[in-house]
Amino acid sequence: MIELLGATKRFGAKCAVDRLDLEVRPGELFAFLGPNGAGKTTSIKMICGLLSPSAGEARVGGRPSSSPEARRLVGYVPDQPYLYDKLTGREFLRFVVEMHDIESRRGERRILELIDTFEMGDFIDELCESYSQGMKQRVVFASALVHDPRALVVDEPLVGLDPRSARIVKDLFVSQARAGCAVLMSTHLLSIAEELADRIGIVDHGRMLAVGGLAELRERMQHEGPLEDLFLKLTSDSRPGTRAAANGVAP
Amino acid sequence: MNLAVDAPPVTPVTPINPDRTARALRRLRWRLTVNTVRAVLHGSRLRLSMILGCSLVFWVGLFVLFLGGFEFIGLNDEFFHSIFEYLFSMFFLSILVMLFFSSGIITYSGLFQSREGTYLLSMPATPDRIFAYKFFEGVGLSSWGFFLLGSPLMVAYGLTIHAPALFYAMFLIYLAMFVLLAGSLGSIAAILVANVFPRRQRSVLALAVIVTIGVGAALGSRLWKTPGEALSADWLGNLQNRLAFCQHPLWPSRWMSAGLLAAARGQWQRTGYYLMVLSAHAALAYLAAAAVARDLMYRGYNLIQGGRTSRRRWGLQALDDVFHRVFFFLPRPIRLLLLKDLRTFRRDPAQWSQFFIFFGLLAFYFLNIPRLGYAVQSPTWRNLVSFLNLAVTALILSTFTSRFIFPLLSLEGRNFWVLGLLPVERSQILWGKFAFSVGISLGATLALVFLSDLMLDMSPLMIALHLAMVVVLCTGLSGISVGLGARLPNLRETDPSRIAVGFGGTLNLLVSLVFIFAVVTALALPCHLYYLGVENPESSRMALSHAGFRFWLGAAMAMGLLIGAAGTILPLRIGIKAFERMEF
Repeated sequence: MIELLGATKRFGAKCAVDRLDLEVRPGELFAFLGPNGAGKTTSIKMICGLLSPSAGEARVGGRPSSSPEARRLVGYVPDQPYLYDKLTGREFLRFVVEMHDIESRRGERRILELIDTFEMGDFIDELCESYSQGMKQRVVFASALVHDPRALVVDEPLVGLDPRSARIVKDLFVSQARAGCAVLMSTHLLSIAEELADRIGIVDHGRMLAVGGLAELRERMQHEGPLEDLFLKLTSDSRPGTRAAANGVAP
Repeated sequence: MNLAVDAPPVTPVTPINPDRTARALRRLRWRLTVNTVRAVLHGSRLRLSMILGCSLVFWVGLFVLFLGGFEFIGLNDEFFHSIFEYLFSMFFLSILVMLFFSSGIITYSGLFQSREGTYLLSMPATPDRIFAYKFFEGVGLSSWGFFLLGSPLMVAYGLTIHAPALFYAMFLIYLAMFVLLAGSLGSIAAILVANVFPRRQRSVLALAVIVTIGVGAALGSRLWKTPGEALSADWLGNLQNRLAFCQHPLWPSRWMSAGLLAAARGQWQRTGYYLMVLSAHAALAYLAAAAVARDLMYRGYNLIQGGRTSRRRWGLQALDDVFHRVFFFLPRPIRLLLLKDLRTFRRDPAQWSQFFIFFGLLAFYFLNIPRLGYAVQSPTWRNLVSFLNLAVTALILSTFTSRFIFPLLSLEGRNFWVLGLLPVERSQILWGKFAFSVGISLGATLALVFLSDLMLDMSPLMIALHLAMVVVLCTGLSGISVGLGARLPNLRETDPSRIAVGFGGTLNLLVSLVFIFAVVTALALPCHLYYLGVENPESSRMALSHAGFRFWLGAAMAMGLLIGAAGTILPLRIGIKAFERMEF
C-alpha cells in the first residue's frame, strides 16, 4: 500500500533521505525509528505527496503519492498538526468530510463515531483556539480517520496526549491495522514500537539501517537485549567516524 | 501477530468531484468569516469601535481632502477634464504596482510558507482549487486599503462634477475588476518566483522593490521639476506632457481612468466598452493564474521546502560590543536580555524595514521643506508646521512602540519561565526593556525633529524646546508600551502583529495617542498664541504678549513634564506590579 522505491531527497547539498526502500502492506503496523534529523519526517512527507523525491519513487495504493487519488487513500497526522483556530472541532471534521467528497449523512455518522471514540463530546463544539494540545491532537486524529483511509501515516503519534488518550490511540492503531489499513508511524518512543509494531525500520542519515520484525532484528544483530540497546547500537555505529555497522544489517 | 496481506497493484479509488472540494473550501471561508465576526462582536468592543471609528475618520478625512482638491483644480476650467484623466491614470498606475506586489507577497506566503498551505496541499483537492481559495483571501487582504482610499476619491469626484447615480455603483465594479487583474498578475509572479528562484525569493523581491522605487523616484523627480509657475496654465500643460506615459492605451490604469471618467459624464457606451476591456483582461489574468497554479504550484512548494538550508547567522560582534559599552550602567544579565531583543530586531526585516521606511519618508519630507516654501512663510505658520512635524514624528513612533515594544514581553510566551528564573529582580527586566525602547527611538526621533526645525529655520530656543519634548515623548511612549505590555500580556500568541491588534495593543495605541495629544497641545498652544500676537498684535484677543508667553510657556513646560512623568512612571509601575505578581 505504501511504497518508497529508492527514494532520495536532497535539500541543497544535504541528502536528507538516501535511496530509501520501504513497503508497508495492508493490515501491517510499521514503526519508523530513528534519531533526530534521521530523515523520518522527510520520508513521511514524500509518502503524503507534500515533497517529491529528488530520485526514486513514492507511491500509495500503486499511484504516485502526489496524485489526488493517492492523497484520498491517506490519513495523515503530522508532527505539528494544523487546525483552524476559528472553527469548532465539529466544523473542522465536517470540512474534511466534504473535502473527501463523502456523502453527508455517512460523514455525520462517522463524525459521531469518532467523537465517541476519542471522547471529544465535551469540547467538540468549542472553537479550536481554546483547545489544549491533547484536545487538538485528538481532533487531528479524528480528521485523519474520518474518511476511512487505506493508509494511515502518523508522525510522532503520542506527543501531547495524556495516558488515557495515548491508550485510545494505540488501540486505534491496532484496530486500523487489523481492519486492513496500512499504518506507518514514526516515533522516538521505542516502547510503542516494541509493543505495537509488526515490523520496525531503523533509519539514520537518510538510510535504512535495519528493517524487520523485532525477533528478526534481534536474530540478525545477534542481540537479545531490549529494542533500546539494539537501536542505540545501530545508530551509534552509523554516526560519522564510527564503524559502519550497517553493512550486512540493512535488508 | 502480523496480518499483512499483499496489496493489489493499483488500489481502486472513486474519483472526487472537483466542484465538491471547491464548495467545501467556499464553506470553510464562510464559516471562518462568520466565526471570526461573531468572536469580534462578542470580544473586544473597544477594539472593534476603534477600528470602525478610525476607518470612518480616515474615510471622511480623505473625502474632505479629495473634495477640496477637486474643487480647487476645478477652478481651472480649461484643464478640468483632461487633468483628471491624467491624474487618475497616474493614481491607478501607482495602485496597480502596489497591488501587484502586495497580492504577490501575500499569495506567496499563503501558498508556500503557511501551515495552512501545507495542510491544504495534503488534502485531495486539485492545486487550482487550493489556489482559488488562497488567492481570494490574499486579494482581500491586499486590496481593502485600496477600497478605503479609492471610494472617497470616487465619491468626491462624482459630487464635484455632479455624476449620475449609476456612476457610484459603476466605480465599485471597476475597482473590483482592477483588483482582480492586479492580484492575478501578482500571483502569477509569486508562483513563478517560487519555481525559478526558490532560494532567492527575498533577493528577487528586494531587487524588484529597488527597481520600482528607482523608476518611481526618477518619474517623481521629473514631475517635480516641471517648468513654469505652479498651477499656471503653462505649468499644467507641461505637467500633462510629462504624465503622458501613463496614458498608454495598453495600461489597465488607462482603462480605469477612461472608463470611470466616462461613467461620471454619463457616457454609458464608452463606460461599457472600457468595463468589458478591463473585466475581460481581469478574467484572462485569473484564468492564467489558475493554470499556472495547477501546473506549477506543487513544484514550487516542493522546491521551496527542498531549498531550505541552515543559514549561519553572523554574530556582528562589533555591534554587540558597542551595545555593552553604551548600556554599561545596566546589570549584565539585563544587558544580555536586551541583546537578545536587539538581535531579534535586527534579524527580523519586518521590524527594521518599517522603522526605516516610515522615518525615511519623514526625513525625505523634512529635507524637502525648503522646496515647499515653508521656510519663507510667516513665523506663525513655521511654528505651526514645526509642531505638526513633531506630532507626526511622535505618532509614527507610537505605531512603532505599539507594534514592536508592546508585544516584547508577550513574545516571551512559552519561555516566560526563563525570565522568572533569571538571577535579577523582575522590575529590572522591565526597566531594561524600557531603556531598550528609549535607546532605539530617541536617536531617530531627535535627529528627525532637529532636521525639521533646521529646515524651517526655527530659533535655537524653539529647537531646544522641541528636542526636550521629543525626550519626554520617547520616554512616555516607551513607558506606556512596556508597562501595558507587562500588564496585559498575550502569552498564547506568537505573532507580534496579532498581539498589537489585540485588546492590550489597541488600548496601548489609544493611551499613546492621548499622551501625544496632551504633551504636544500643552506646549504648542502658548507658542502659537505668542507668534500670532507677534505677527499681528491687533488680530486676536487671545494672542500672548512677551511676558504672558514666558509665563504660559513655563507653565506649559511644567505641565508637559508632569504629563511626561505620569505617562512614563504610572504605566511602568502598573506593569512592574503585574509582572512581579505573575506566576510562571
